[in-house]
Amino acid sequence: MIPMRLILLCLLLWFASATQAAVVYQDMRPGIRASASYQVGEDRDKPAVLLLHGFLQTREFPTVATLAGGLHDAGYTVLSPTLSLNIPARSQSLACEAIHKHSLDEDTEEIARWVSWLKKQGHRSIVLLGHSFGSMQLLAYLGGRPDPAVKAYIGASLIEAQIGPVDRRALIGQLETRARTAPRTLVTHPLSFCRKYTSTPRDLLSYVRWDQARTLDALHRSPVTGWLIMGDADNLLGHNWLAALRHLGSQIVVVPGANHFMDGEHEFDLLEHTLVFLRGLSEPSR
Amino acid sequence: MRPARFTLSIKQIALALITGLLVAVSLVGAFAAWQTRSVTQSLARSNLDAAHSELSAATERLFRRAANQADTLAHWDETRQQLVLPEYYAYWRDQRVYEAGILNSRHARAALYDNQRRLLSNNTTNDTEPGSLAARFPRPGFPDTLPQAAQLLPGASWLANEGGTMVVYQAFPVYSDEHQHSLLGYGLLRFDFMGELLARESFHFVEMGSVALALKPGETLAQNALFSRLNFKARSDPNQARFQTILSRALITLFLLVAGAALLAFLVYNRLLIRPLHQLSRDIDTMQQGRSPSVNRPSAMHVVELESIRRSLHEYQAQLRELHGSLENQNREFRSQARQDALTGCYNRRAYEEDWERFRTDFRHMHEGAAFLLFDCDRFKAINDTYGHAKGDRVLTLIADALVMALRANDRLYRLGGDEFATFLARTSPAQAKQIAQRCQSLIEAGSFGDLGISEPVGISIGIAFCSAGQPENVGDLPKQADIAMYTAKQPGRARIAVYGEDTERASQTLVANRETSALFQALATPGMIEMHYQAIHALPDRKVDYYEALARIRYHGELIMPGAFLPVVSARRLETEFDLAVLAQVDADLSSGMIPEGIGVSINLSAQTISRAEVVSHLLELSRHTARHALMIEITETSLITQVAEVSTYLDLLRTVHFRIAMDDFGAGYSPLRYLADLPVEVVKLDISLISKLAQDNRAARVVADFVRMMADAGYSLVAEGVETEAVLQKVQQLGIAHVQGYLLGRPTPLDRLADAVADDIATQPARSA
Repeated sequence: MIPMRLILLCLLLWFASATQAAVVYQDMRPGIRASASYQVGEDRDKPAVLLLHGFLQTREFPTVATLAGGLHDAGYTVLSPTLSLNIPARSQSLACEAIHKHSLDEDTEEIARWVSWLKKQGHRSIVLLGHSFGSMQLLAYLGGRPDPAVKAYIGASLIEAQIGPVDRRALIGQLETRARTAPRTLVTHPLSFCRKYTSTPRDLLSYVRWDQARTLDALHRSPVTGWLIMGDADNLLGHNWLAALRHLGSQIVVVPGANHFMDGEHEFDLLEHTLVFLRGLSEPSR
Repeated sequence: MRPARFTLSIKQIALALITGLLVAVSLVGAFAAWQTRSVTQSLARSNLDAAHSELSAATERLFRRAANQADTLAHWDETRQQLVLPEYYAYWRDQRVYEAGILNSRHARAALYDNQRRLLSNNTTNDTEPGSLAARFPRPGFPDTLPQAAQLLPGASWLANEGGTMVVYQAFPVYSDEHQHSLLGYGLLRFDFMGELLARESFHFVEMGSVALALKPGETLAQNALFSRLNFKARSDPNQARFQTILSRALITLFLLVAGAALLAFLVYNRLLIRPLHQLSRDIDTMQQGRSPSVNRPSAMHVVELESIRRSLHEYQAQLRELHGSLENQNREFRSQARQDALTGCYNRRAYEEDWERFRTDFRHMHEGAAFLLFDCDRFKAINDTYGHAKGDRVLTLIADALVMALRANDRLYRLGGDEFATFLARTSPAQAKQIAQRCQSLIEAGSFGDLGISEPVGISIGIAFCSAGQPENVGDLPKQADIAMYTAKQPGRARIAVYGEDTERASQTLVANRETSALFQALATPGMIEMHYQAIHALPDRKVDYYEALARIRYHGELIMPGAFLPVVSARRLETEFDLAVLAQVDADLSSGMIPEGIGVSINLSAQTISRAEVVSHLLELSRHTARHALMIEITETSLITQVAEVSTYLDLLRTVHFRIAMDDFGAGYSPLRYLADLPVEVVKLDISLISKLAQDNRAARVVADFVRMMADAGYSLVAEGVETEAVLQKVQQLGIAHVQGYLLGRPTPLDRLADAVADDIATQPARSA
């Protein structure tokens, strides 16, 4: 039975987000406009949180939306962008079989644009918070030239770019070949939870390269404080992924019983652990 | 009872009723069929309306579905992606829209246009991994340029005929944001109207094969005008058709059942009612015609009332037949009695008349001659008077028996009246007839009349007339000819059997062939034809007219026929009574006319045979009313034929009481027995001219006559000398003391219209005569 407290909290969060959220747009590329939900927190001193959704999802994904609402309620400014994936004003989850004419580079570029946008809004302390594949994309961003305003990183249910039971090296080789020989040809290959992910060789290759090793490496090389919130019931995670993360020495919180989406009551665990981390960030700045 | 204007037989009524029933059933059936047709038409209209509604709803759903698909496409991220990055437009168009479930029919296709209304290039990359759906769907011919904005309003759609295929286009705009601030381009949805309709919709009322859109090739039609060009038919309702079939069969079955029942009813009706009634009607008609119906019908009638009528009718008929038989027996007996003479047992006059008519008819077919025999008893009056009526009747019976015995087996004897008998012999010759007549006379002469105490011989006179075969037109004259022959046979000196033509040739010439006969019969039938002339009777010695004798003439075609010409006919035909009655009627008329001067007496001649006739006496009594103005006298002629002297005497006494004087005419001529003078109340005796003419002679005859005259005068009779034509005879008469004279010497008969003048002349010349 769902506790009464949880129901009331959900209603409160929904009401608050419905009444105070604003949608902001940015033209990422010609003809490609991306949107984000921008919720200004009560405490301007608190870092702004850039909350990124998972693979092919939008900011409306429940785990993300709930988390955004909780953070906003906790006084944080939350910017929840929806990656355009090269689709104008994308508002829907993109189907696996759709023509994926986007790459990880374009994703990180859009992240950078939103970080810049936050800075333009006066936020000098930005915490990147990602869920699932978004956590990996944020690591990719951090692996590049992250903005100095980015102060921390929180990865929830961090996962690499899974490609199914194929040899990643061989696949990468094939894709590299296709990218040279028939760059416009669409290829369909499993990626993450998609069994038939259709994309160009180059774009697919941008994701396929991010295996567990590269992800761990990015995490390891992250220039900002990192924090991982994982579920011990996450079936999507690769074998020994949690062990690898622990082995890396990252700050990691494993929520017992939580799955990959941290849904249900584990959304509160995610929020609480996130808030705990955020509050931990605030103390030194004071 | 007044007859009905028209009558109907019971069969006609039955047929009319059955026909009426069938007509009524037919009308009901026709009305039901008409009603069914109306219902059917109403149902057809309802079906058509339902089909219209169904088709309208289907097309509405079709267009709504298309609009929804268009809306989904317009808001689909991947649609916007293609308008921005159309590199894989073909993949999107041919695969993604189906793969994503937005278009789910092979009849539907989608295309995108940029914001300049240009169709996205087909040259986009179409290199995909295996499994492309593009090859599975034909590429429609989307227009390269999107039509004008009028058709691009949200939800705008139209239809077009493309190569015989009716397609629906649904256009929609695609914006880059939710607020539709930035137009990215247009989308166009295309699908096969009929294919989509058939694939998506199921119809209950629309005959899908009939659905057709009337569009010319290349012609377009706005969606809202769809039904202006959409032709369709309603699906025939199988239940309705079945209902019609069932109803039609039911009506036909009903009609056949009613017709069969009517026919059966008619047969039963015919069997139970019509035929029995016809039979009863025929029986009644047969009975009305006097014939016997077939009463012994074995089959009884099945209807109680008819059977009762039949029994009653047959019982009634049986009773009638029994009664009829009884009546027939009685009729036969009555007829036999009516045709039989009660005295003699032979056939009477009625039978004679009936048989004679039949014989005349049958004679036309006979190949042999026929004879008519008329029998008359000689001196029967004298016998009757002498021996009484009983003896007279016995004489007649014996005569009849003898005649019957003498005739042939099949010959019939008829008693015509009194002592007159007749028979007609078929298949005979004159010789045979005469032989039979002689046998009759022989048998009668051999008759035992002496047993009756009659000592005088009894005989018969027989007149025979014969008609040869092949002359049927003459057979009708046989009775008359036989009568003439009889007259001949009766004459003295005859052999009492006379054959017409042999013995009566002269008589027939004088009696039958002359015109006087015709004049006589016509005069008897026509009052006024007998004209009376009056001859004066003069008293002696002064020759004064004492009275006039009325003398009959017949005026025939302007000429006068004298008594000498017609009186023999009167006598031969025995027309004395009729003639005397005619004379009396004419004298009565003359006396009533006043043309006979008052005081002038009139004497009237009457036959002795008619004086005993009641009608003659009655007429005389009637005539006696004139005796006050005119002295009347009756002159009896033919006194020799008086047979019933006592009876005549009685009548004469009666007439004398009414002031008639009685004279005996023509005394001295023929048979004028002195006994009659003694027995009859005669006052005047008119001496016949045959006696008077003797007076002019000087011989014994003259003396005898003179003595006789004196004797009569001494006996007290008043004498009249007839036929005085010379002065010598007149002198002689006057010398004998005869009181009255009559003759041409003193005056000829004068017609009535000159009688008054004659009387006046006579009065005027009276002194001269006296001198």
